[in-house]
Amino acid sequence: MYKLLLILKYLRKRRIAWVSLVAVMLCTAMVLVVISVMGGWLRMFRASFHGLSGDVIVSGKSLAGFPYYQEMIDQIGKLPEVDAAMPTIRTYGLINIDNQIREGVQVIAFPEGDLGKVNNFDQSLWRQYQKPRQQLLEEANRPGLSAEERRRLREKADHPMNPSFDLLPNVPYEEMRGPVSKNWPGIIVGAGLVGMGKDKEGKVQEIPFLYDHWAYLTLLGVSADQTRIDVQQAQTVAFWIVDASRTQIWQYDSNTVYVPFKVAQRYLKMDEVRDENGNVEEPARTSDIQVKVKAGVDLQKAKVAIADVVQKVRTLHQIPRSYPILVQTWEESQALWLDAIENEKSLVTFLFSLISIVAIFLIFCIFYMIVVEKTKDIGIIKSVGATNAGVAGIFLGYGLAIGIAGAAAGLLFGYLIVHNINYLHTELGRRLGIVIWKPEVYAFDIIPNTMNPKEVAVIVLVAIVSSLLGALIPAWRAARMHPVEALRWE
Amino acid sequence: MSQLKPHPAAAPPQSTAALLRAQSVKKTFRMGDSTVPVLKNADLAVRPGEFVAIEGRSGSGKSTLLHILGALDLPDEGAIEFDGRDIVTMSETDRSELRNKAFGFVFQFYHLLPELNVLENTLLAPMIENSWFSFRANRRKLRERAAEVLTQLGMEHRLKHRPNQLSGGERQRVAIARALMNEPRILFADEPTGNLDAETGRQIMSVLENLHQKHGQTIVMVTHDRTVARQADRVLVLKDGRLDRPADSPARE
Repeated sequence: MYKLLLILKYLRKRRIAWVSLVAVMLCTAMVLVVISVMGGWLRMFRASFHGLSGDVIVSGKSLAGFPYYQEMIDQIGKLPEVDAAMPTIRTYGLINIDNQIREGVQVIAFPEGDLGKVNNFDQSLWRQYQKPRQQLLEEANRPGLSAEERRRLREKADHPMNPSFDLLPNVPYEEMRGPVSKNWPGIIVGAGLVGMGKDKEGKVQEIPFLYDHWAYLTLLGVSADQTRIDVQQAQTVAFWIVDASRTQIWQYDSNTVYVPFKVAQRYLKMDEVRDENGNVEEPARTSDIQVKVKAGVDLQKAKVAIADVVQKVRTLHQIPRSYPILVQTWEESQALWLDAIENEKSLVTFLFSLISIVAIFLIFCIFYMIVVEKTKDIGIIKSVGATNAGVAGIFLGYGLAIGIAGAAAGLLFGYLIVHNINYLHTELGRRLGIVIWKPEVYAFDIIPNTMNPKEVAVIVLVAIVSSLLGALIPAWRAARMHPVEALRWE
Repeated sequence: MSQLKPHPAAAPPQSTAALLRAQSVKKTFRMGDSTVPVLKNADLAVRPGEFVAIEGRSGSGKSTLLHILGALDLPDEGAIEFDGRDIVTMSETDRSELRNKAFGFVFQFYHLLPELNVLENTLLAPMIENSWFSFRANRRKLRERAAEVLTQLGMEHRLKHRPNQLSGGERQRVAIARALMNEPRILFADEPTGNLDAETGRQIMSVLENLHQKHGQTIVMVTHDRTVARQADRVLVLKDGRLDRPADSPARE
């Protein structure tokens, strides 16, 4: 009982120990914020890349792509591990939007009608997914609705919305660019490319009349043998903008456009070429095949099965080695990025943990001082019959109390920072002109602001244990004090 | 428990079984390279209910002897027996238990814990003895007893005061109350009036006298002051590391 009483009294009265409490709080908060932001960043990366690329990717590692992809897709689709597969083309081009925006862009081509079949691209679309969904959810939250109505609205918001490249029904295309233009294909542009950002309150700033704009895309076809880029045969294709894509990944949103697969294939000269007799001279090519794997299936297993199929088709058609074809899981395909970020996170965590070791030394110093200061009191307590272990227990308990209080305060402080980090960052930018988080560098335009409970638990535990460690040697010293010498202390 | 009763083990002073016995106690202090022998051959036997005073000049080692008798320190050589048990070969934990339950200490400089108030200081021994649970279970009884002891020492109006708000005499009373809380078999007093003025010193001595006469408390006291020493039943003089009867005392044993 005396231990508890003394710990409480010392907590209240020995204010120097509050310094160590603040140290624990700051270190805990610091490590929490860093790990949460970097961990959150990693999570966002993984989710986004995963969302955009499917589970397993079969990719030709050159601009020429690879042939016989449809056969591969048919066979891959039959695998028990596989849900769906679709071809995609990736290339580069020059875009001219309404003579107002001229940029070099990345061009990604998805098959029409398959948007969202193997990845989450459909969920990035503003007009055909995000906006109606937002409106439905706002509707569902309106006052005065019955529970049944709310439920129905929410269900509708979660229902797939089947976006496409189709032209909008109520836009007067013919009037704007003549009768031929109503046959132009639709193009989806990255939201950042057309300047669609977020205002100060975080609401999406729509571009007025976005869907009245045309876009000329100049594509460069690479010949099948990858020996020629025929600049004279560079094709400029006219499109109408039908939607904007907000993947939240800056590199995609700011300079990518999405076009229908068949259109890209044709103008890139990657489509099938037949001779006069109708025989296939050049098979059709694609850049990648994206595969969605069934839920719960191990990605490595699926990858092996898919690689087998690819190899079989390769051998069957004797696809030459000049067409490198790689089969990777989505993680492997982003390994360079993800590993770099993981390494950064580990490094930063390590550095901040080192700093936290300073806190242990601080606690050690302060507690050592307190034990020395309390030498006489320790003698008194021992003279009334406290054991050495009991006296040590006072200071260990004291250290534990400081650790728990400091870690709790640090958790609160860290939570407040992480939760409000975007607001804090904006204020920092507005008042001091300091912008740390740049979307061009960190890929997202919002700073991750969630905490992972497991990571939080580990950090808090480490903080408490560290405090205990700092108090260990002083407590041992208190235990070893000779009562008579202690009583004589001045 | 309504007031201090004579301890069950306190036999009348004439009982011959020694409660505390010291034999050939030697203690040497090391100061740098030189050694200073403080106690050379101290022998002592204290019977239950006795009030023994050990008189000696400052530096004579009387506090050292008291500490050794009270299991606060260990002799370099010699034996200390309490109630038939060998203190020297006991484990430190057992010695702690003795200090908590069988012995009570009163020091020259009071030695109260500054962060605790009068009541809490008094309750120190039972707080050490009891875990949080058992203390809470018995807290009313313990608080009542502490309040009683303090009342009998005239401190009932100061229960919530801190030591730094008390006078020297008041602090010593609290120290005595603390020492008495667990009904010690022996009360050890190290120069209890050394830091007090004459009048206050007399008051404290009368408290000790009262404890001895009315309640049969066994007391072992050390002091440099002859007049204080003479208030005890039996006086011994510590000189040259040995205990002797005072030169001018009639043979008493």
